[in-house]
Amino acid sequence: EEIVLPRRKTWDKLAVLQTLASTVNRDPTAAHYMFQDDPFLMPRNAANARLFALSMESGRNAAKYIIKQFPEYFDKILAEPNVPCLMPEMLTPQIEGVSEEALKERIHLRRVKESVDLFDQLIQASTPVSLETTNSLLDLLCFYGDGESTPEKEEEEKDELEEPGVKASEQKAPKRQSQRGLQSSGSRWSLFIDSRENNNAERIFKIMPERNAHSYCTMIRGMVKHGAFAKAYDMYIDLLNERHKADVHTFNALITAAPYLKERFLERWELAKDFLNHMAQQEVQPNLLTFNALLKTLRQCGGIGKSMSISVIKEMEALDIEPSLATYDHLLSIFYRGVEIRPSGIISDVLDDVEKRSFTPQDPDDARFFATAMEVCCDLKDIKLAYRLNKAMEKGDNWKFMDMDRSNAYWSKFFSLLCMMEQIEVVLKWYKEMSPSVFYPTPKNILDLLQALDAANHLEVIPSVWEDMKQLGFNRRPELLEELLSLMSRDQHPEEVQLAFAKCAEDIKAGYEQTGREQAPLEWTGSALGCVALLFSRVGRTQDAWNLLEHFQQINRIPTDKVMDEFLNCAKQTNCPEEAIKLVKLAASLGLSSSQRLKSRMEKEFELSEKQKKALESIRSDSDSSDSDSDSDSD
Amino acid sequence: MKVEVSYRKKLQQLKTREIKKQAKNKLEGLDSEGATLQRTTEDIQRGKPLNPELVEAASAVASSLPLNKKQTESELLAQLRRHEETTDKQKKGGTVNLRNVISEMAVQRQSPSQRGVRLSSRISLELDEDGQRIKPERSPESSDSRRSLRVGRRLNIFTKASTETEDALETVSSPTIWDLEFAKEIAAMTAQPPRNGFEEMIQWTKEGILWEFPIDNEAGMEDDAEFHEHIFLEKHLEDFPKQGPIRHFMELVICGLSKNPYLTVKQKIEHIEWFHKYFEEKKELLQEM
Repeated sequence: EEIVLPRRKTWDKLAVLQTLASTVNRDPTAAHYMFQDDPFLMPRNAANARLFALSMESGRNAAKYIIKQFPEYFDKILAEPNVPCLMPEMLTPQIEGVSEEALKERIHLRRVKESVDLFDQLIQASTPVSLETTNSLLDLLCFYGDGESTPEKEEEEKDELEEPGVKASEQKAPKRQSQRGLQSSGSRWSLFIDSRENNNAERIFKIMPERNAHSYCTMIRGMVKHGAFAKAYDMYIDLLNERHKADVHTFNALITAAPYLKERFLERWELAKDFLNHMAQQEVQPNLLTFNALLKTLRQCGGIGKSMSISVIKEMEALDIEPSLATYDHLLSIFYRGVEIRPSGIISDVLDDVEKRSFTPQDPDDARFFATAMEVCCDLKDIKLAYRLNKAMEKGDNWKFMDMDRSNAYWSKFFSLLCMMEQIEVVLKWYKEMSPSVFYPTPKNILDLLQALDAANHLEVIPSVWEDMKQLGFNRRPELLEELLSLMSRDQHPEEVQLAFAKCAEDIKAGYEQTGREQAPLEWTGSALGCVALLFSRVGRTQDAWNLLEHFQQINRIPTDKVMDEFLNCAKQTNCPEEAIKLVKLAASLGLSSSQRLKSRMEKEFELSEKQKKALESIRSDSDSSDSDSDSDSD
Repeated sequence: MKVEVSYRKKLQQLKTREIKKQAKNKLEGLDSEGATLQRTTEDIQRGKPLNPELVEAASAVASSLPLNKKQTESELLAQLRRHEETTDKQKKGGTVNLRNVISEMAVQRQSPSQRGVRLSSRISLELDEDGQRIKPERSPESSDSRRSLRVGRRLNIFTKASTETEDALETVSSPTIWDLEFAKEIAAMTAQPPRNGFEEMIQWTKEGILWEFPIDNEAGMEDDAEFHEHIFLEKHLEDFPKQGPIRHFMELVICGLSKNPYLTVKQKIEHIEWFHKYFEEKKELLQEM
């Protein structure tokens, strides 16, 4: 018998860990792994989660900064083998002197100002600088937009790029992001727009003894990146005049600039098409990013976008270029933007394509697809599409395309849609599974949930929703409280439920009565006050209810008839005719039309002593209220 | 004379026209069109009858001249006639030219959908966001719901590059700062924080913070040599004498070196070589002794 030795298997160094990781499922009761697993330290809502994650990342960045700034304290190599990524980087340039080699080194280390200074020195010393080096200097200047790329600035930019999971989306905290964005690129913007300023890139470009296509291309890309669109177009015309060929990246940049060069939609599209024709003439092959840029431009072309985008897709097919998620994102935005949403076959077709494939990141706009698609499903009120989309999102690595903010927005929309369209059991199942481990409900989500519970006649779940609201920190939002209270107080419920509601109401009341804290004081409204009083009345807490009823005058509001009737019922059941009389007096003093009715109810339903009867008699409504008061005082 | 003949014929024609008209009225036939056509061509040929005053003036002029009176008169009248004809022709020619111009203009063919739309919804005054009037085809729902990604025509601007040209076009150039930064951006897009401890360990292993399992205790050591080259060093002792105190000494040296984990193989060989050189130098001394 022959023994066949099996070949030795070689495993990837991560194989074991990846297998282990695949066995771990999500814990629906825990927050994200990156947070401390302590109930006190878990973030309570989306804003908190973002804050915690950002603060953790900023802590890491602070540590990296210290190592970078003071490398002399971190030079001992203690680990064996050494861990290079934890050691300080050697970022000081080694080559001294005024030479092209030194310039190349500084360009490589991305020191913008030093490179420019060194270049100027070389030019003054009449040392020729090779075209290649000058081009790489231009690359550097055009990318960073002539602003200084100091280590701090680089950290800031890296912050924006490398904060895993906490990239600011357009929805959450837009002010902060745009401020930061403006700060870091504001100086560059002005330098490129304002030609009087000493714009190094343009200056160096002008004094170059010879230029090649690369020089022009990098200038165009830089100008487009930093908003100098008209200049970019002029530079392109120069490139054509010099009979150079532009590369595909330059064309992509020019296509994205088209909406800023023309006002009319048709002209924008025509300009973009011109660029495409030039590409074809110069035999530059388009790539995926070309077509994505085209669709992005079509988003700003109004109705033309709808008719032309299909042609663009067909062109991609003909060239065997597979669309990426960004392509589909642009398509959905073109067809489903604005006020008029008409169901069309586009989203089904898109989902058909997305379901079949697994995606790799190819375009920075890929990350926007899932949130956009879910928004469209929600606007179309199509739950089936949403389920399909969700399945596609969970397939393979597709979930990685969404960072924390986008994920929250996605799930928030999905949950709203579920509340609208699904049975309550399904809704509650999703709710328990997904929040708060995957997403944090927004106030709107809570409202949707309450409405779903109302529609399904499951109002007894409301006290647990209130607990969640407290957990999320929404317990001081007036609109939510109003909705909660009105739902609880609308109908009569069995006793247990009623007791639970009353407890809830007490909690809410405490919230209204809290003063002197950092939070903005919560003001009683008439309906809220009435609801709480009513809920107290229904469980027989007469004194509590009366205290609230007295409060009405302080806020210049009038209790509704329903509230007063309930209070009377309560007083009857708990045998507190005194309180009832007080109620009738109150009604009379406020001049309410119901005071008469209440009085007659009292006379019929209550057992009153003589004194009480007399007191009741003496209450008269309207102008006689002052007399009746004095009468009762005399008693 | 031509003129007179023509004039006479004209009169005859007038008479025949009247007869024809009456005949036409009687017949109510389809050849009325033909008759009118005939008439018009004849009209064009003969031209309009000249103004009688002009004719009289012409004859007066002819009579005043000493030359052949009749000929002069006929020539004058012919000239006048030619004037009339040219004027008429050019008058008519103007309209004919316009007709040519219009026929040269391309007629825009309307698709059936557009035609249907035009019929169903009259001219809409909806304005697109840029102030341009929205064409009627954009407003109704039917065209939107019919849109699909499967159906449509391509732009037809590009042609697919064959794979050979693609390979030829790919020039090897070092990545520029644009390429590097783009790659970083793309990588950062899907870099989400780890969801559990194992994913965290995966990330750390990739960064080099965590040891790779199974533990390789030569990790980080860039030693090209195998373990046997460190330990079995006798083969370097070939140059030394096989007997004697030197051999004994060198064997001890080798024993020590084989247990030394801090030197590379190269360094160990250098050690042995140094000894070899040393003893070579001292050989003469030893020989003397």
